[in-house]
Amino acid sequence: MPSVRELRDRIRSLKNTQQITKAMKQVAAAKIRRAEAAQKRTRPYAQTLSEMLADLVGAVSAVDHPFMREGRVGAPAAVILMTADKGLAGAFNSNVIRLGESYAAQHPGTRFYSVGVKARNALRRIGHPDHRTWTLGGDKLATARAVAAEVTRDFTSGDIGAIVLISSTLVSAMSQRPLQRRLVPILKEDLAGTQERAAKPSGALEFLPTPEFVLAALLPKYLEFTLYSAMLETDAAFFAAQLVAMSNATDNAGKAIDESTIAMNNARQAAITKELLEIVAGAEALAG
Amino acid sequence: MGSTVPFKLITPAEIVFEGEAELVIAVTTEGEEGILPRHAPLLAALRPGILRANVRRDGSTERLERATGEGFLQALPDGVTVLVDEALRFEDIDVAKAREELAAASAAGDRSAEAFAAAKLRLTGR
Repeated sequence: MPSVRELRDRIRSLKNTQQITKAMKQVAAAKIRRAEAAQKRTRPYAQTLSEMLADLVGAVSAVDHPFMREGRVGAPAAVILMTADKGLAGAFNSNVIRLGESYAAQHPGTRFYSVGVKARNALRRIGHPDHRTWTLGGDKLATARAVAAEVTRDFTSGDIGAIVLISSTLVSAMSQRPLQRRLVPILKEDLAGTQERAAKPSGALEFLPTPEFVLAALLPKYLEFTLYSAMLETDAAFFAAQLVAMSNATDNAGKAIDESTIAMNNARQAAITKELLEIVAGAEALAG
Repeated sequence: MGSTVPFKLITPAEIVFEGEAELVIAVTTEGEEGILPRHAPLLAALRPGILRANVRRDGSTERLERATGEGFLQALPDGVTVLVDEALRFEDIDVAKAREELAAASAAGDRSAEAFAAAKLRLTGR
């Protein structure tokens, strides 16, 4: 049985840990709100962009853009693996990484790009030491643009046949799920959801200079924006996961403190009882 | 007071302006295009440049000028919407930085970045 002193030290250390986890929980809670607000601000842009895309796809008879054709046959797919830069958020990052690993296992030759320090480290560990990588923090718009430019170049040159994004989605405040989605090629059936609007006669919509030209300008923007909004969602999901993880850690530290406190009280009481017994025994021996 | 059209200027990060406009002038890939109320339905690709608009604010007409990145302009019967990468006020522009960007973009042959940097400088009047 540990001594009273050992137990007291353990309680002190547990309390320190608990203070840290509690502080991180509060920080995460504040940051979720900010991240969610940032995400919400992208909605008007997102909505207008998909409306425009729908109008265009409805207007263009023969779509001829590299993004809307199947990639080169036999070319490997590229996966953009997106995680947070930091950990301490439960299984948040490892869930995404695991999905990436299983994708690579099913599709040999997969080429990786990473966004987020955790994804970078994981990919280096599993045999992609020099893939292209960006961090999640910093100027997200600039990063999204850089990633889009890089994968676009590799796609149009035929080095890769498809672009897949694996990242976290925020299902609810309490749950995040890793999701795999194909970004390129964008096939007509992917836009099925937007066909409704396309079917609506948008009147004699005029395109400047031509629908094909506007579409060719819009598709890369669509890719950039999808990456940008995925980065914002990863941010929000990360803080949500961290909030839960830190909340659990704080509770567990509390439980451990309670248990150690009881053990310490028992040990202290046992020491007192033992001392008393010794005194009584001594007195009895003298009286005897 | 002329007639107005609902006008929205949107970047990925925020709604820069939402209100009524009497006139919107944007730089399309084919040159400047002025949009008045009741313009024919249009969807245009925009080059980086300076977006100008006469907007109504608190009952009076105000000039809105922004250095904008690549984007799109949509004029529909229910309003004019401009989507751009960035829309900077002249107060937001760091002249020294914009000069560097202009030099770097011309050196790299990045026409779009070059045009955006040039637009920034033009907006600040340099």
